[in-house]
Amino acid sequence: MAEAWWAVARSEEVTSAKPINVDIGDQPIVLWRDHQGVPHALEDRCPHRRAPLSLGCVLGNGMIQCGYHGWTYDGKTGHLKDIPNLKSDAKFPALYRAIPFGVAESGGFVRVCLDAKAPAPEPGAKALPLSGSANVALEHEHYIAALFDDPSLVLAIRGVRFTPYLLAELAEQNGKLVLERSCQWAGLHWPSPFSSDFPITLRISTDPVTGECDLLLRDDGFNPLLTATLAPVPAARGVTQVRWRARLEDNRPGVRAKLMGAGAPFTVHSSVDGAALRVLKPSASIHAATLRNEIAARTAQTSAA
Amino acid sequence: MLDVKDAAITPNSHGDDYVDPITADPREFAAKVNAWVPHDIVLKDAWFPLAHSFAVTKKPIRRAIYSQPYFLWREGDTAIAAEFHPSEGMTGTKSAYSDAVGRYPVIEKYGYAWCWFGNPANAAPEHIPSLPYLPEDGGLPMHMLGTVRFDCTAPLSLENLIDLTHADFLHADVVGDEKMDKETVEVFHDSETITMVRTCVNKSVAPIMKIFGGVKADVQQVRQVIRIYLRSHAAIAYGRFSPGDNVQLFHPCVPETRDRTRLDYAMNTSNVKKTNFFRYLMPKASYKVSRQDSFMTSPQSPRYMQPEKRKDLHSPLDEAGQKYRVLMLALAERQARGDFAYRDNVSADCSEIIGYDGK
Repeated sequence: MAEAWWAVARSEEVTSAKPINVDIGDQPIVLWRDHQGVPHALEDRCPHRRAPLSLGCVLGNGMIQCGYHGWTYDGKTGHLKDIPNLKSDAKFPALYRAIPFGVAESGGFVRVCLDAKAPAPEPGAKALPLSGSANVALEHEHYIAALFDDPSLVLAIRGVRFTPYLLAELAEQNGKLVLERSCQWAGLHWPSPFSSDFPITLRISTDPVTGECDLLLRDDGFNPLLTATLAPVPAARGVTQVRWRARLEDNRPGVRAKLMGAGAPFTVHSSVDGAALRVLKPSASIHAATLRNEIAARTAQTSAA
Repeated sequence: MLDVKDAAITPNSHGDDYVDPITADPREFAAKVNAWVPHDIVLKDAWFPLAHSFAVTKKPIRRAIYSQPYFLWREGDTAIAAEFHPSEGMTGTKSAYSDAVGRYPVIEKYGYAWCWFGNPANAAPEHIPSLPYLPEDGGLPMHMLGTVRFDCTAPLSLENLIDLTHADFLHADVVGDEKMDKETVEVFHDSETITMVRTCVNKSVAPIMKIFGGVKADVQQVRQVIRIYLRSHAAIAYGRFSPGDNVQLFHPCVPETRDRTRLDYAMNTSNVKKTNFFRYLMPKASYKVSRQDSFMTSPQSPRYMQPEKRKDLHSPLDEAGQKYRVLMLALAERQARGDFAYRDNVSADCSEIIGYDGK
């Protein structure tokens, strides 16, 4: 978790108007943007009296100021720069600082790494225009397993019904966990257990550590219909915070595909149907842990070499 | 009353190095039976009937064997099978299962496009299973063909099939209950096949035959045969009923993934009079029966994905299923050692073995 880059916010959520609070596991983080547009991330805790810095404000110089006694911190280093009531120009010892985290922004997401010295991730693709957030009362690992075993529990694609049938089970491809699920168009149709062929598929390519997924909906002619990125992040109390971005392709062959544009084409549910989840049989997800361990072991081996 | 017998079909037909995995040592046999993790068995060098021939047209269709992509289409009259969608081209890394241009060996026989899964150099027509009651050049009417799916691993579907006693309970409303005077089960095997013959004396008549097949008697004499071609995960299900019409089902379980099974079945009812509704209805019974099977095997499947210390319990009625497990494991072990050779000829006419007399 320490070296992973977590997409904790959509770019538009991070502003210089008001700091926001996010979590990575049990670590609260304050995020804001300075007036040059650069995002910053510090622990969401003033080292003075432990007040959340996210309750403070962003100053004109881009620093964050605690709302309790005005202690002011530099976003890049976390160093304390000012205690307004002290009326002194004295420099503060290096010990006087909030813990800084690594911050990177690309593809319409602000990503944070708990290790401030971690190398920045490769920049992502161009930001997808549609976006949203959800807070789901389900632990991160179970959330991803539900996505693998039955995507309808966690998201919806307009006009699309997911079947229980995979064209490719979960396997590693270039360091990602990848599966491809057969889908049908919603509405009246021959039941999926008796269907010979399916008109669309959903490919899910998942980062083994963060669970950030790239989704690709294609028709049976391999034409892309919708692309999306889903970024589930473990938050406090077993909640998973999900940020997502999506794009509906302009050129979508077929009437059903064209109808996807009538309304919200992509939705992430804020709650999971517990009754359905309880009886959901593990299938695609069952080897996820083993695959993750294999990838992690190989990565560690490569790093050691 | 139950009588279970077993015999290897040709006990002396193998080379000296061959050891029949159905060992006489009951403890060794039991150990193998209980080491059953069907999810981990991926047999190679086999033909799979990936599509009914009629489904292969100019427009590519997509199939999978253990997640390996197969795209099928027709160029002229010739069926083509390739690893990549023709509009996509060879964009990804090609596997070792296709040739230099990404194409798989494919043969059309019995009304199916059979695709090879394994080393393309080893693909040979003689490894296509013998299916005596399907016309070699296909052509069965559409109402005898269909697709159903099982939400479980393919070996579990086949283990379910070869244990026909489950049908008396799970499918009683279609094929009849367990009431009969006597039941005999015989099991035959070689290195590539297992055959179970179940003979029932005075068995209660299958409701589908009584209601739609014109059978007026209360009991019938039944001889049911399940013959599984292990590598291809394909089964013959042949039933002789007196009084009643014979049932001639081809039941191929294609492992699309390790946990999902596709079945493009063919139920040849051309032996039934054209005026008998049973001719048209029996093939459609697969829709009901397959859902009944999947209802039970789907929740079992995740429980067979990992090795377990806790052993399954068995009855004498499970002999065929137990031997199926051991034979599959033996093939998997052989393949793990690099031995992909066919030691028995699966394409040799099996009419005599299954008791099919052409009628």
